[in-house]
Amino acid sequence: MSTKQQYLIRYKDGNLYCELADIWIDPSKPVKKALITHAHFDHFTFGCEEYISTIETAILLKERVGDNIKIKTFEYGEKFKINGINISFHPSGHILGSSQIRFIFAEEKWLISGDFKLQKDETCQQFEIVKTDYLISECTFGLPIFKWDETKKIANNISKWINNSPEKTSLLFCYSLGKAQRLLNEISQTNFKGNIYSHGSIYKMNNCYKELGIDIKDTIKIENKRKIDELKGNLILLPPSLSKGSYLKNFKNIQTAFASGWMSIRALRKRSGYDKGFAISDHADWDGILEVVNKSEAKNVFFHHGDSEALSKFLVEKESINVLFFGK
Amino acid sequence: MSLKNFSELFVDLDSSNSTNNKIEVLKNYFLSNDPIDNSWTIYLLTGKSNKRFISGRYLKNLFSQIYEYPEWLIDTCYLKVGDSAEVITLLLKNKSTSRKKELSNISLNELLSKTIPDLSKLNEEEKNFKIKNMWETLPEDNHLIFNKILTGTFRVGVSIGLITKSISKLINIDEEIISHRLMGNFEPSIDSYEFLINKNINLQELNSKPFPFLLANNIEDKIFKHSINDFQFEWKYDGIRMQLIKRSGNVSLWTRGQELVNESFPELVEKMLHIKDDFVLDGELLVWNFKEQIAFDFSLLQKRINRKSPSRSIQIKYPIIFIAYDLLEINGRDIREIKLENRRIVLEKYFSKWQIKTENNISDIFKICDLIFPKDWPDALTYKEKSRENNTEGLIIKKKTSIYSSGRKKGIWWKYKVDPMQLDAVLIYAKGGSGRRAGLYTDYSFALWKDKELIKFASAYSGLTNIEIKELDKWIRKNTIEKFGPVRSLKPEMVFEISFEKIQISKRHKSGIAVRFPRITKWRKDKKINDADSLENAYELMKKIS
Repeated sequence: MSTKQQYLIRYKDGNLYCELADIWIDPSKPVKKALITHAHFDHFTFGCEEYISTIETAILLKERVGDNIKIKTFEYGEKFKINGINISFHPSGHILGSSQIRFIFAEEKWLISGDFKLQKDETCQQFEIVKTDYLISECTFGLPIFKWDETKKIANNISKWINNSPEKTSLLFCYSLGKAQRLLNEISQTNFKGNIYSHGSIYKMNNCYKELGIDIKDTIKIENKRKIDELKGNLILLPPSLSKGSYLKNFKNIQTAFASGWMSIRALRKRSGYDKGFAISDHADWDGILEVVNKSEAKNVFFHHGDSEALSKFLVEKESINVLFFGK
Repeated sequence: MSLKNFSELFVDLDSSNSTNNKIEVLKNYFLSNDPIDNSWTIYLLTGKSNKRFISGRYLKNLFSQIYEYPEWLIDTCYLKVGDSAEVITLLLKNKSTSRKKELSNISLNELLSKTIPDLSKLNEEEKNFKIKNMWETLPEDNHLIFNKILTGTFRVGVSIGLITKSISKLINIDEEIISHRLMGNFEPSIDSYEFLINKNINLQELNSKPFPFLLANNIEDKIFKHSINDFQFEWKYDGIRMQLIKRSGNVSLWTRGQELVNESFPELVEKMLHIKDDFVLDGELLVWNFKEQIAFDFSLLQKRINRKSPSRSIQIKYPIIFIAYDLLEINGRDIREIKLENRRIVLEKYFSKWQIKTENNISDIFKICDLIFPKDWPDALTYKEKSRENNTEGLIIKKKTSIYSSGRKKGIWWKYKVDPMQLDAVLIYAKGGSGRRAGLYTDYSFALWKDKELIKFASAYSGLTNIEIKELDKWIRKNTIEKFGPVRSLKPEMVFEISFEKIQISKRHKSGIAVRFPRITKWRKDKKINDADSLENAYELMKKIS
C-alpha cells in the first residue's frame, strides 16, 4: 500500500499538486506555478506568479481577465520539462484550448484528464486518447443515468422549440465560454433561420473564437433597448447568471431554457425554474468516462470533481480497475 | 392517436410554466386525437386512477436482471432522480439494439385497456419477458410514459382545472358545466369523452354528480374593516368536506377529492333515504362525540375513510355525523345563485321539517352547523382562540350576500385558523427527498432536549424556501456524522421553529409525544442548540391545551 507521499501527483489543500516539479494544476488559490487546463473561471485564480497553458487557453484567459498575467504557452503534444519531469498538453474536447496534461517521470506516466468530453464538437479539438499508468479523471456526470443524445438531436430540439413559438422571444441560457459557441455552431446548421442575439459576455467570447479560426455564426449583441417586435421568434443566448433577477424584465413574452447536462433529470429541470431544459454537456457522460478509463489503459484511477463513489465501486467490481483515493 | 402523441403531450406540458400555454396545448391535442385516446388522456392526467401494475422495486430488479446491472447502482441513481420509472427510462437509453420499433404506433387505448392489464394474467417469467419486449419495441421517447403508467406514478403538473378550461375552450361551453361533468368517476371510454364534449347540456345525465365545491381563502386583513354583521360565522371542522346528494331516490356522498364514498358510510346513506325531499347539501363528515357534542380527533375518522362496508361494531365504535353548512339544491331547484343568508333560512326550514318526522330519526347522524354570533371583531378573535376546546381548527367566515360559485373564489369565504403550536427543535437527521426534491436532503428529523440528550420528536419536510433548502443541503453534506443508507445523522447545530396542529401522548414514539402536521416555520439561525425546547416544554404545552 503506497502512502500519499509516494504519488507523483497528490491533493494538497484541495488542489492537485506535483511536489517534484513544485507545480499546481488549476489551483484555487495563488501559487508560484500553475498549469491551467482550460479558461473556465472555476479552473483559474488570480495572483499566481506564472501560468502555463495551451496557446488558445492563454488567449481566452487574457480576453477574460486582461493582459496582466504571465502565461507561458505550449502547443498540444509539445513536451516541456520542469525539474526533470516531462509534461505535455493534449486535447480534451471540453472547450477551445482545453487540455489533458500528461506527466512522465522515471517511466511512470500520469494523466490529468481535465474537464473533457468525447462527443464531436466543431468548435474545439477532438479529445485524444492518451495512454497512461495513472489517470486522474473528472467525474462530473459519474452515474449511468447520464447518457448524452447526439448533439444534432438536441440542436434540432432547440430549433423546434424556437420555431414552435414564433410569437415569443426564446432565451437560451448557457455558459458564455464553450457551450455558447458550440450551440451557435450547431443551431446554425438546423432549420432555425431567425436571428441569434447574444449577451455581451458571450459576444466577446464569440469574437475570440473567430480570431482563433473557429467558424461560427455572427450574432447580434443584445442591447436593452431592442424593440420587442424585433426579438419575436428569435433566439437570445444569455449566461445563466442573468436568469434570476431583474434582467428578464427587459423582455416581454419570453420562453426560457437552460442548456446543461443536469437537465436530463426531470427533478432538476423542474427545480431550475426554466421552462425547458436541453441536456447537452461539455463533460463526458458515464459511458464516456468508462471509455477513457479503458482506452487510457490506466491501472490506477483517481477521480476528482463530482461524486465518484458509485463510479469507483462499479470500476472495482465490474472492471477490476484499481481505484485510489487521495488523502485530502 | 397513440402513446407517441401522448408522450409528446407530456413533454409539451412539462416544459411550459404558462397556464395559457398548457390550455392551448391540451386543446390542440384533444382536437387531433381519437375520442378514446382523449378519454384515456383525461383519465391519466387527472390522476383519476393511479393503479400500480408493478412496483418500482420490481421494475428495478427486472432491469438489473436483464442488463446485469448491480442493484446498488440503480439505487444510487434513484437518489439523484427520485422516481423509479424515470431512473429506468434513463438507464434504458441506447440499450435496445433492435432497430425496428414495432410498437411505435400503439394507441393509448390498446396499451391501457389491453397490453398492460394483460400483464397480470401472465406468470412472472412471461411477464418479465413481455416487459423486456415492450422496452425493446417501444421508441425510447415513449419509455418514460410507459414506465410511469406501469408503476402508477403518472403525475404531471396538470390540474383538473386545466382540463376543465381546455375542454371548455374546445367546445365553447361554460367551465362550470365541464367541471360538473368531470366530477366523480370518469370512465375511460368513448362515451364518457363524448359526454364531456357534448354541446347539449342535459341536466338529467348530471343527476348524481356534485356541484363544484366552493373553497375558503386565508383570512385577509381587509375584512376587519367591514361590519361584523355582513358575515356568517361557523366553526371550521377538521373532517371530510362532503356534498350529500339525494336526487330521485338515490343518495350520493362525494368528497372534495371527487370520490364517491357511499360504501364507507352506509349508515348515513341509509338514513338519508328516509327523507322525502330531494336536495344537495354541502357539509362536513366527522366522527362525533355525542356525549360532549364535539368532534373526535381526525385520526378516528381515518379509521373509517378507507374502510368499505364497515361492520356494525366499527360503526358503533366510530360514530359519524354529517354537519350541513349549506343547501345548494332543493327538490330539483338549483339555489346556488341565492344569497347565503337566504339559503341558510331555507336550510333551517327544511332541517326542522325533516327532524320533526320521527320516522326519519336523523338526529343521531345529521345536523346543521351551529352559527356563531360574535358581537365585534375582537369577539370573533376570542371565539377563534377557543376553537381548540371544541376540537375545531378555527372559524369559517362567509359573506352573507355571497352566492355559491366554485373554486377558491376570492373575497367571499375565509378561513381564520387558530395559531399553530410551536417548539424550537434541533435538526438531527436528514434524508434525501424524492420527486422534485431528488438529489437534495429535504426530509428532516428534529429533536428536543431530555436532560442532556436530544430525543427525536418530529419529522418535517415543508416550510423552507428553495434557497434555504439548497443552503441547508450544503450544510448537511458538510456536517454529516454518519450515513445509514439514504439517511444521514448530523452534527446538532441547527435550530428550527417547528409548528404543528395537535400534540398528544404516544406510546409508539420514543419521545412519548406525537404531533400532527409538523412543519418548519422558521430557521432559527439566531439560536444555539441550548436554546432549543425540551420535552418538558412539550408536555407543558400539551397540558395547557387540554
